Amino acid sequence: MASDGPDHPTPAEPADETFRLHPLTPLALGGRILGALVVLTLFSLAGSKAGQGGGINVTTLAIYGGAAVLLVIRGVIMVAVTRYHLHGGELRIDSGLLAKQSKRVRLNRAQSVDVLQPLAARIFGLAEVKVTTAGTERSSVRLRYLSLPVAQSLRADLLSRSKGGEQGAPEAPERPVVSVPRGQLVRSVLLEMVSWRLLLLLVGPALAVSGHRNGHGAAAGVGVALILWFGLLVVTDIWRRISRLWDYTVTESPDGLRIRHGLLSTSRQTVPPGRIQAILIHQPVAWRLFGWAQVRMNVAGYAGNANSKSTMLLPVADLDYTMALVGWLLGGVDIAAVPLERPPRRAAARAPLWWRAQLAGSDEHVLVARHGLFSRTIDIVPHERTQSVRLTAGPWQRALGLATVHLDSTRGPVRTRAANRDQALARAMLDRQVERAHRARLRAWEPTVSPPR
Amino acid sequence: MEGPFAAPPDHPWSRVSPRLARMRRTELLVVGVPVVVVVTVVLALESVAAGITVAVAVVGVVALVAGWISIGRNLASWGYLERSDDLMVTHGALFKRLTVVPYGRMQLVDVEAGPVKRSFGLVSVKLHTAAATTDAKVCGLTPTVASELRDRLTELGEAHASGL
Repeated sequence: MASDGPDHPTPAEPADETFRLHPLTPLALGGRILGALVVLTLFSLAGSKAGQGGGINVTTLAIYGGAAVLLVIRGVIMVAVTRYHLHGGELRIDSGLLAKQSKRVRLNRAQSVDVLQPLAARIFGLAEVKVTTAGTERSSVRLRYLSLPVAQSLRADLLSRSKGGEQGAPEAPERPVVSVPRGQLVRSVLLEMVSWRLLLLLVGPALAVSGHRNGHGAAAGVGVALILWFGLLVVTDIWRRISRLWDYTVTESPDGLRIRHGLLSTSRQTVPPGRIQAILIHQPVAWRLFGWAQVRMNVAGYAGNANSKSTMLLPVADLDYTMALVGWLLGGVDIAAVPLERPPRRAAARAPLWWRAQLAGSDEHVLVARHGLFSRTIDIVPHERTQSVRLTAGPWQRALGLATVHLDSTRGPVRTRAANRDQALARAMLDRQVERAHRARLRAWEPTVSPPR
Repeated sequence: MEGPFAAPPDHPWSRVSPRLARMRRTELLVVGVPVVVVVTVVLALESVAAGITVAVAVVGVVALVAGWISIGRNLASWGYLERSDDLMVTHGALFKRLTVVPYGRMQLVDVEAGPVKRSFGLVSVKLHTAAATTDAKVCGLTPTVASELRDRLTELGEAHASGL
């Protein structure tokens, strides 16, 4: 609400701006395919040099070349017909050669603005700006590609427009919050591999050894193949995680939280204040020896994008620190001080061992639920972000006099529930949660991010 | 309605139309009875042991009767309640659930009516929030009740709107 009194002159409406994509975009867009085509071409050239059948190679060359040219032409046309207009608090994208398309994004609905640099774009010094809005489908707009400086200033501009500020605002100053040391990242990724899935790794060696002993050559062969295959999977997975989370840095600015990471492809993500719907602190089993934990979040509009990376908030840190960080993000809540209760003993009939680990509780600001016997997860939902509250009970639960309370949040990694409560307590919890959420919404539904500690 | 899934004191549930049970029972008869009959007849013609044929027929009939009864129980389990700040919805006879959706959280209100439902004069109203897991659907409303409910909900939603 901009209530401008007569003595407060209205800030100048942001000027309109129109711009296009960077001319190198087609190369970056087709990066992978073009690269593959070049490699294929080289192979067929090498083949033709090696000997016979030159005619066939001319045909294949023509096909590869044609495909590459078509790809580039498509990209060129796309760049030529796409225009972006910034008009006040609105971003409009006009595209399409024959069928014109116009898409508008109201920037005050933006949930986050990211600058991404996939490897192909990075080679050409280009970057993508991605605006995510709240919505269930097609909720993000991708401007690709722009040159990196343009992308960065556009991000600052979009963010300031999203708050109704002046245009051309310089990048807001930022303060470092936390960054993940490289050594700790590598160790944490390796340790995260330690889980029951490791047992699968034993299948290969077991087959190989027993096959060799008993003289079953085929079984031994399959075993060795399994070892190689699993090894390859594990190594690529480790590599993917490390390169994605490399140099993970979180900073804080008036625009919101800024998250930066990546080794080859880099990503800079900005989450405006108050857009985090729910948070979880997760400890894979092996991390608990070291007291490490990671933090993930629900941000409206994120999860539909299928890449789980954008829901990461902090890949690894000390548990105490993650608790403090989350408390600060939620405006000064002491997560550890929230009293947690476990289900009644009779819940053991439904959740044999892990009933002890199903803790939940709430205070005036947040609801906290902790679960997991080996790997441990703590879900935290601020009351003002609760979407709806549910109480469920199946036949077995009802026979035991138990019920489960669910808190619904936007799509994301955080799924909060207080499982297997005593029925009367569960209903009381539901009613209290409804009441607290109502009061929290009245208080303020856009809490400001307070400066760090 | 028992304990934890009961309506708040002094606020009885609004119930859904009994036509819902009539519709489901019709569906059960139209689909279930022919299936049981055909299976029994085929078994008899294929000269399977008489005992098995009879057993299958009995199981089929028992399943039909159980379905008939559970439809009634399910109908009785539906209830909704418009409170000052939120809508409460409950349903389920075996798997019970109770959902509370604050008006301020509603993103949109859907009124759905398939061809079968329409022919029985029924529609359902579904509330959507920003959460995909919100399970707030009221089945088996008559079109007038549904459109009144939708209008009230939309109005309340606007009055309470609080973004995300």
